[in-house]
Amino acid sequence: MASALFSGLRYSDSLTVVGISFCTAVVCEAISWLLIYRTASYKSLKSTIDKTSKKLETMKTTDVNSASANLLKKTSKTKKIDRVETSLKESSRDLSMFKFKSGGVVALVLFMVFGLLNSLFEGKPVAKIPFVPIKLVQKMSHRGLAGDDMTDCSMAFLYLLCSISIRTNLQKFLGFSPPRGAAGAGLFPMPDPKSS
Amino acid sequence: MTERKSAKLNQQKQLLQHHQNGHLPPFKLAKLLDPDASWDKDQLGDVLHWTRQAFGLLCGLIWGAIPLVGGVWFLLFVSVSTGIIYAYYALVLKVDEEEFGGHGALLQEGLFASISLFLLAWILVCSLAHF
Repeated sequence: MASALFSGLRYSDSLTVVGISFCTAVVCEAISWLLIYRTASYKSLKSTIDKTSKKLETMKTTDVNSASANLLKKTSKTKKIDRVETSLKESSRDLSMFKFKSGGVVALVLFMVFGLLNSLFEGKPVAKIPFVPIKLVQKMSHRGLAGDDMTDCSMAFLYLLCSISIRTNLQKFLGFSPPRGAAGAGLFPMPDPKSS
Repeated sequence: MTERKSAKLNQQKQLLQHHQNGHLPPFKLAKLLDPDASWDKDQLGDVLHWTRQAFGLLCGLIWGAIPLVGGVWFLLFVSVSTGIIYAYYALVLKVDEEEFGGHGALLQEGLFASISLFLLAWILVCSLAHF
């Protein structure tokens, strides 16, 4: 009865895309856990980054609040802070490299899923966007679609939205997000690309 | 005001100490509305992230159901979402943003994911309910 209801909807394909995206996200996180997150190297690197960034925070807070104006003390403190910052950057780089090496399998899975979805829904609008996107976004949202109606939504755009929202939150929920102290956790944190 | 700030600073230092030792105090729901609570950077970041996600999902569902159509509603969502997060940490929790990396760091927690989630919900509900 449910399938009859859904197949009657004009844009029921969007639910298929979301469902496949969700399952892919779960599979990718499972693979990442197997190859990356459960390894001793990853746990040790993450712990090092967490501790180093907390230590750096404490040192910077103490430095700011210090009433002492002793120049010699401040210079040695600054050197210590620089050393800790360098150590943090090195650990972050090592973590990125480690994830990159193991992320190839997940990247392959994502590539295959995208290919499958593309073959199923190429040239077919899977949803309706409730506004006309800007020109830059239209290249993705209207990818492979015929006609001039820019509110037609292609599979690629919907898949992109699903990937970002579902995978980012899944990683966050499972505790697999990169540590905040790691370099590169910038303005727009995407789902951890090294695990994809 | 100065006493509250120094009490908060002491609690913050204790929290930092706990974190360095690998032990975080348990998170209590009452803390979400307590202006006197002190926050660990990670805990506050997580709370702001999930608040944004919940608001994004709710807005997407409502705006898709009505439906609200037009790019202006997208801009409105971004503004309102940012305003709510700012009001929450500045007026309800009364945190000192300098201790957490400034306004930018706090406002960008979960921003991108919440925008994607909002768009996804809005597009899906609009497409399925009104076409």
